[in-house]
Amino acid sequence: MIAAFSPFLALRYLVTRRINLLGIGGVLFAVWATLVVDGVFTGFVYEIQNDVRRATPDLLVTDLPDQTSYDTLRAAIEADPDVLHSAPRLRHYAVLQPLRPPRGMISQGASEVDFNQMQGGFALLLGIDPLLEPQVTDVQAWLERGVSSLQSRTINGRAPVVFDEPDPKRRMYLKLPDEVEWRARGRAGLPREERVEDSRSEWPGVLLGWRRWHYTQLLREGDPLELLTAMYPPGSGGDVKISTRHTRLAFAGYFGTGYRLFDETSALLPIETLRSLLGHDISNPRSKAIVTDVAVRLRPDLPPAAWRACQQRLRDAVQALLPAGAAPCSVLDWQQQNTVFLTAVNHEHKMMQFVLFVVMLVAAFVIYATLHMMVVQKWKDVGILAAVGGNAADIGRVFLLCGLAVGTLGALLGTGLGLLTTTYLNDVNEWLYRETGLELFPRTLFDLPTIPCHLTPGWVATVAVGAVLLTLIVSYLPARRAARMNPVQALSYE
Amino acid sequence: MSAPVLTARAVTKNYRLGKREIPVLRGVDLSIADGERVALLGASGAGKSTLLHVLGLLDAPTSGAVEYDGRVVHDLSVKERALLRHRHTGFVFQFYHLIPELTALQNVLLAQMMGVSMFGYLGRRAALRAQAEELLGQVGLSDRLHHRPAELSGGERQRVAIARALIAQPRVILADEPTGNLDSATATGVVDLMFAVQQQRQLAFLLVTHDERLAQRCDRVVRMFDGKIVGEEAATGAGAAR
Repeated sequence: MIAAFSPFLALRYLVTRRINLLGIGGVLFAVWATLVVDGVFTGFVYEIQNDVRRATPDLLVTDLPDQTSYDTLRAAIEADPDVLHSAPRLRHYAVLQPLRPPRGMISQGASEVDFNQMQGGFALLLGIDPLLEPQVTDVQAWLERGVSSLQSRTINGRAPVVFDEPDPKRRMYLKLPDEVEWRARGRAGLPREERVEDSRSEWPGVLLGWRRWHYTQLLREGDPLELLTAMYPPGSGGDVKISTRHTRLAFAGYFGTGYRLFDETSALLPIETLRSLLGHDISNPRSKAIVTDVAVRLRPDLPPAAWRACQQRLRDAVQALLPAGAAPCSVLDWQQQNTVFLTAVNHEHKMMQFVLFVVMLVAAFVIYATLHMMVVQKWKDVGILAAVGGNAADIGRVFLLCGLAVGTLGALLGTGLGLLTTTYLNDVNEWLYRETGLELFPRTLFDLPTIPCHLTPGWVATVAVGAVLLTLIVSYLPARRAARMNPVQALSYE
Repeated sequence: MSAPVLTARAVTKNYRLGKREIPVLRGVDLSIADGERVALLGASGAGKSTLLHVLGLLDAPTSGAVEYDGRVVHDLSVKERALLRHRHTGFVFQFYHLIPELTALQNVLLAQMMGVSMFGYLGRRAALRAQAEELLGQVGLSDRLHHRPAELSGGERQRVAIARALIAQPRVILADEPTGNLDSATATGVVDLMFAVQQQRQLAFLLVTHDERLAQRCDRVVRMFDGKIVGEEAATGAGAAR
């Protein structure tokens, strides 16, 4: 039973002592900050994870020996009941350079040394099969995102059309419409047919990660790019001999996955073009369809256990097909393909949550300090309450209820304000930018059209209830002190 | 005279100061009957207030016994002693000891809330409030119900304290120098009020005082010195005439 005087007196103490506003304000701020900051951070983490997910196939069969053929692996992979599709991939490195230097190259004022901020620059080549790749990754969405990312920097353009080519033989090489290459040849001063009707596209297309825009900004669809790569075939005497290969490609447009590293470093080109560069005679039907990886799409909504089981089965199936003594291959899910990056992101998130918890602790300490001060100042009242018949537990409860009320009010107000802030965060950001030119979160920095925010009812409740519990805990000590006070000493003091 | 409502038997009380034990009460025997008015007289440091606190169960004796209506109560649990204090005893202090944040009415209501749960109080709130208002009216404070202690004179504050002591219908009033902080005119008024109520309700009344004249207004004067009762006599003043 809670004696009636405990809440009665607690309420009077709260109302008449303005110092308690400090405690309420502290909890309010802590809850508000936790909800807003963690909500935005979680939103960013979700966006980053979604972007990584979008850029990554369900599974990637990798760590394959040199000269592994896709034809050897395909049947075994697609025989698995949980596998829907697979697609070959070939990774290599090259230097990509516009045939004619772009006029008026725009300096970015880099704050760090970046090898990409040169004319051309190194690129991670990802050879894909344009006929099979859309079955394992959302390539079309990549193309649309590339356009929207550039539009956020007021660079207009249209989504690449190479995947819309109806002829599979042309689509296989990401070839642009004939008239596009014809016009590009004219701009570059290269030989071309007299009439556009007589011309045929010769150059395979290449798609660049949109973040390479600062040196390709003035490139137009169809502009020729020179690709230079190197190989290290063993020489006749067993020594390594470097040989270089180059080819001409047509700039087919930009793609964007949202995964910054991928968008900065990668160029997508037809796998057959890359195989040819690496010395394979693609006109020979018996030539190996070499791959470095195989991208796999699984059935949707597979539970995690089935996912892992499929990984193991594919690992075993692929390993059985590799030459004896070959190093173990790997079958990585989308998280394992990006372990370092995702771990870093999650670690930053945890650190942020820890910092916010410390803010909450500071607010709780403010409550402890104000309650402790109140107990010291109300020493005499404790004696009075004991003299008129109050028992120690109920006397202590007065101060516990004070702390609980402060914490509850602060948590409720903080939660309300936090939800309001997160709801209108983008409106406030827009208004601020419009009126002052300032942005709470620079959109170009994170390539997001709006500030993401992710709050679940469960997390909101956890933060609010956690704040209240924390204030209850820190209120216990001052309350206990009040309950243990000697009423005779309190009454004797004057 | 009726059976004693409050009894102290060989009560001692020692306080520890570091490693030393300081005896404050050295075997006190005292009893007070219903309707009896007893003055406890003695110099400063004689142990009067300590005896009052032990009799009021605010402090536990080092040895000896405290009895209420013949029942030993000093060794009850903290909770039981608090309840007994609420129902059996009313305190009036020299410095009033009112809660400054509460009005006169709320200070009296506070005493009523002691033994009542929240919901119990809410159910009887109107009746309890009426009772408090009536009592404050009896002590002459009908027009001061909503004034805080800072807005009341010394005499008015003491009247609020008296009303608070009486609201739970105690059997015993323990008053520790109730006029010590008042001017003589006000003190007389307060004392007259206390004695009138005591007489009306036939309460056992223990009054700690320095004032010989005030002590003589009681039925019995008990003299203390150095923690012991050194003398006990019938009063010679108005109390003796009752």
